[in-house]
Amino acid sequence: MLKGWKLKEIVLMSLFGVVFGIVYLLFVHVGNIWAGVIGPLAYEWMFGIWFIVSIISMYIIRRPGAAFLPETLAALIEVVLGHAAGPRLILSGVVQGLGAEAAFALTRYRHFTLPILMLSGAGAAIFSFVYGYFMSGYAALDPSFVILMLTLRILSGAIIAGIGGKYIADGLFATGSLRGYAIARAQKGDARA
Amino acid sequence: MRNLLHDMNPTVKFLIVAVSLITLAFFFNLWTPLLFFIGILGLQLTLSRINWKVWLLFMLPFTLGSFGYLWTTIVFGAETGGTVLFEFAGYQVTDAQLAVALSLAFRVLAFSSMSLLFAFTTDPVKFIMSLMQQLKLSPKLAYSVMVGYQFLPVMKDEFVQIQQAHRLRGADTEQRWWQRMLGARRILIPMLAGAVRKAERSAFAMEARGFTGEARQEFYHPIRVRPLDFALTGVFLSILAASCLGGVWLSS
Repeated sequence: MLKGWKLKEIVLMSLFGVVFGIVYLLFVHVGNIWAGVIGPLAYEWMFGIWFIVSIISMYIIRRPGAAFLPETLAALIEVVLGHAAGPRLILSGVVQGLGAEAAFALTRYRHFTLPILMLSGAGAAIFSFVYGYFMSGYAALDPSFVILMLTLRILSGAIIAGIGGKYIADGLFATGSLRGYAIARAQKGDARA
Repeated sequence: MRNLLHDMNPTVKFLIVAVSLITLAFFFNLWTPLLFFIGILGLQLTLSRINWKVWLLFMLPFTLGSFGYLWTTIVFGAETGGTVLFEFAGYQVTDAQLAVALSLAFRVLAFSSMSLLFAFTTDPVKFIMSLMQQLKLSPKLAYSVMVGYQFLPVMKDEFVQIQQAHRLRGADTEQRWWQRMLGARRILIPMLAGAVRKAERSAFAMEARGFTGEARQEFYHPIRVRPLDFALTGVFLSILAASCLGGVWLSS
C-alpha cells in the first residue's frame, strides 16, 4: 500500500493523524455530554467531524490509502491519549477510513472535486453506520428511528467532512506550506486535477 | 501475578479485545454482556495494577452513555410485544423491551471495561513496536507513527501558544460556543501548517540518517509472543465462552 509514497508524505499523514486525534477527542467529550442526555442521536448530526482527516489528507496527498490510513491513525492516537472506548475505536477508525477511501477508489484516484469529497464523507457515514448497526445493536431500535439516524449521519458526513474538509485544506494550501505535495501540482494544472 | 496483563504481548491482547467485542455484538440477551463485564472486572482486579480512581473516572461517561442507550431503546425501540410491565410518561414498557434495553446498556459497560483493560495495561510505544514485529506493519508507517507520537506534547504547547497569540492581538472575542466552533479554523490552520513543516523536517532528518523503511528481521527491542500469552488467551476466551453460553442458558 505504501509503495511510491515519499517518506515526508507518510510522516505528514501521521502528523495529521495526531492533530486530528486531539481534535476528535475534544469533540468526543462534547458528544458525550449530549449523549448522556439524549442518547445515540446526539452523535449523528456531528458525526462528520470524525471523518474529516480522511478527506483533508486525501485532498492533499492524493495517493491510494491516504484516506484510510490517517483515519486509522487518528483513532490509534485517540486511544493512546486516553479515549476510554479503547481499541474498539481503532476498529471503527478502520471502518470509517475504508468508507472514505471507497469513493476515491471508485473514481480511480483521478478526481478530487467537491462532489467526490462529499461522496467520500457520505461513504464514511454509510460504512460506519453499518458497523454501528451491528456493534451498538441498532437492530433493536424502531426502523423509522434508524432511518432518521442514517440520514442525519450521511448529511453530516457530506457537509461537515466533505465541504468542511475542503474548506480547511484550501485554507492550509493558501498558507503556502503545501508546496511539494500533490495538491500544489494539481493547482498548477499539470497533473491529476 | 499482578503484572501479568501488563507483560502480555500488546498485539495478542489487541486481537483478543477485537475478537471478544465482535463476538459480543451478536448477543442480545441480558446476561451475556453482564457476565462478561463481571469476568473482565475480576481479571483486572487480580492480574493488573491499575489505578482504580482513574478507572472510575473513565467509566463514568460510559455509565452515563449507557443510560442514554437505556432510555432511547425503551422509547424508540422496535415493537416486540410481550407483557406490559409499567407505564412511564405515556410509554408502555414491556418486559421484552426492557430486556433488550438493559442488554444494550450492559453491552456498553462490557465493551468499555474491555477497552479500558487494554488502555490501562498497554504502553503505546510497545504496542506499535509489537504491531511492526508480529503483524508485519511497514516500518515506514510504524516509525512515522512514532514521530507523530513524539510530537504530541509539542502540538499541545503549540495549541496553547496560538491561542495566547490570538488573545494578545484581541482576536478571540467570540462568546457563544457555536461561534467558537466556527472560529476553530483559525487555530487549526496554523497548527496544521506547523505539522506540515515538522513532517518535512523530520522526514528529511530520517532519510539523512539512512532510514530506508525496508522490512527487517532483527530489532533493537524485540517483542515476542511467549507461553504466557497463550495462557492468558485461554483465560480470556474461556471467560468469553462462559458468558456466551451462560447468557443463553440463563435467558432461556
